[in-house]
Amino acid sequence: MIAVLFFGRMADLVGQRRVELPSAPQGDSLFALRDRLLGTAIAAGQVEDRAVRMSLNRVVSRDDRAVADGDEVAFFSVFSGG
Amino acid sequence: MNIRLLEHPFDAAEAHAGFVNAHGAFGAIASFIGVVRATAAGDAVAHLYLDWYPGMTEASIEAIADAAVVRFGVAALAIWHRCGRVEAGQPVVFVAAASPHRRAAFEAVDYAMDRLKSEAAFWKREVGPGLDRWVEPTKGDTEDLERWNQS
Repeated sequence: MIAVLFFGRMADLVGQRRVELPSAPQGDSLFALRDRLLGTAIAAGQVEDRAVRMSLNRVVSRDDRAVADGDEVAFFSVFSGG
Repeated sequence: MNIRLLEHPFDAAEAHAGFVNAHGAFGAIASFIGVVRATAAGDAVAHLYLDWYPGMTEASIEAIADAAVVRFGVAALAIWHRCGRVEAGQPVVFVAAASPHRRAAFEAVDYAMDRLKSEAAFWKREVGPGLDRWVEPTKGDTEDLERWNQS
């Protein structure tokens, strides 16, 4: 099982804060999960794919990475604190 | 270091007094308190909602605090940051640094704030009458951060 969390505007776009997915038999990756979960919003022009930030097990990643069973992935918009 | 991620309101004057009591002996203390403005770009703001990622948000603040301590050699640093719903007029962030020399304390606070605006794992939403929008860092925030890469 892969836990996928959404923060900021990405949570609005998918209408959820968290989903759990069975890991794909052929393996998964950050980009593949992004396209699966946010592909509709990207195709509809609601968000650009490069505006979707990602983390794997709470470490931000700009690059595609393999995702395995038990991993926690998050998709979010750019940070805005302070 | 004193890092706090707070889901409930805090008293900034109390935070400041506590820091001065604990670290005043170093001789120089600089601090910053950020308060939620009641207006943004001409719109009335009732509250902010700061979305956060438990675990990652704390780690992002700690990384900024660590970098400020190393870069400016301050003796003590505090960062208190609200998360969740923060009403207009309430403090959202408190940063303080103590050092034997004032310049290091000023710069550590300034640096920590510039990085918090763009690199702390928060997602800020402005909510008011007829207003509900996510806020992204401004060009000014990016330029503020760039200053530290040049010096």
